[in-house]
Amino acid sequence: MIYKRTLLIALLVITGLVIQTSILGEATLGGAKPQLLLVMTVALAMGEGPALGAGFGFTAGLAADLLTGLPVGLTAITYTLVGWAVGTIRAQVQTPSALLPAWMEFTATLAGLLFYGGISLLLGEEAVGGSSLVIHALLAACYSALLTPFLYPVVRGLGARLRPASALR
Amino acid sequence: MMRIFDRSRRTRLLVALLLSTALVLVTIDFRSHGEGPLESVGRGIMAVIGPLQDAVSHALRPVGNFFAGFTQVPGLKAEVARLERENSLLEQREHQVADIARENEELRQTLGLGRRLDLATTTVRVTGVGPSNFEHTVFIDHGSADGIRKDMPVVAGAGLVGRVVETAPRSARVLLLIDPSSAVAARLSGNGETGLITGSGGGLLPFDLFDPEAKVALTDEVVTSGYQGGVYPPGIPVGTVSKMDPPSGSLSRRVWIRPFVDFTSLDYLLVVTGKGAAR
Repeated sequence: MIYKRTLLIALLVITGLVIQTSILGEATLGGAKPQLLLVMTVALAMGEGPALGAGFGFTAGLAADLLTGLPVGLTAITYTLVGWAVGTIRAQVQTPSALLPAWMEFTATLAGLLFYGGISLLLGEEAVGGSSLVIHALLAACYSALLTPFLYPVVRGLGARLRPASALR
Repeated sequence: MMRIFDRSRRTRLLVALLLSTALVLVTIDFRSHGEGPLESVGRGIMAVIGPLQDAVSHALRPVGNFFAGFTQVPGLKAEVARLERENSLLEQREHQVADIARENEELRQTLGLGRRLDLATTTVRVTGVGPSNFEHTVFIDHGSADGIRKDMPVVAGAGLVGRVVETAPRSARVLLLIDPSSAVAARLSGNGETGLITGSGGGLLPFDLFDPEAKVALTDEVVTSGYQGGVYPPGIPVGTVSKMDPPSGSLSRRVWIRPFVDFTSLDYLLVVTGKGAAR
């Protein structure tokens, strides 16, 4: 079972990376690129809990890190924390609202990009413009919320296949 | 109840383990300065997703263009107005072209500029863009097996695009001119005043002229200066001066360049493989 889960997670990450960098790559919103892997991390964390959210976030973040010239590991840290936090918060929230996934995607993307940008600035990375960081993060967060209705059902459906038979969430 | 507690504890342990691993990777990456084992893993991932990007972008480019067009609609109106202004300006200049062409040809013959820009190139296609919101890169469908090497300049029909920063056997990553970590030595084509163009993440690019009293005017063309040992050959068009900051009394003067290349819709590019390219 563990091999099947690992393989499925790897396939999900590769698929997400390919779609994010090819089809959706040029579809920016005010200069902000879609954060598909982060959207997938949040969707899995909401459906399958903090452990899978953190695990998938780490794998996806590390894969994205390795395809950039930016410090390797920072996206992995960000996505791991986002996956864990979203999974933990989701377990405490009892609401029938259909807007909850979109709100979670918005908040998680905003918090994730601000966290990443803040850490990068502390490390002296010039690539992250301090003044435009908040605007950039807000635009990316809106983008994530807009992607939610299209991606959320698909990722949640695939996430259910990662669930062990005796899972206790 | 006990099982839930155990599960929560295990999750926290897992998160701590993952974060520790990531911190170790950050440390390794900082110490290796871009030439460590992590770059090899990165090249491996590029080798895996490169062909997939190529296939997907080839098959689904119309879908991608649809999404791109959909999200760019708000900016199209302003773009049309700008193009109309440019068009009227170009019509005015059209009458001067014949004379300039003759003069240019004479200068080329005199100075040998034709030979200087006679570069060996490989045509490549853009297969994807970098996944990060904090970096401006694109992936191309040629790599080290096709003769593409790190630091080779990349140009489009309109002008300079950037340089190759990573290669896999069949794909490569190109750092765009607009990336904040990019720096290009350039000069004003009119009077040869030199300076440094740095990336700004998009829009206008800051061009710091080394001479604070350099004479510069709006619409002056800027080309690469190609100093000895540099990455870029001389004479590649970069853009035109579009805005000028007032002299500030500092050791350099800042003007702003509008690049010739539209970085939001890159498709076919040329990698400069010959002459000064691999220096």
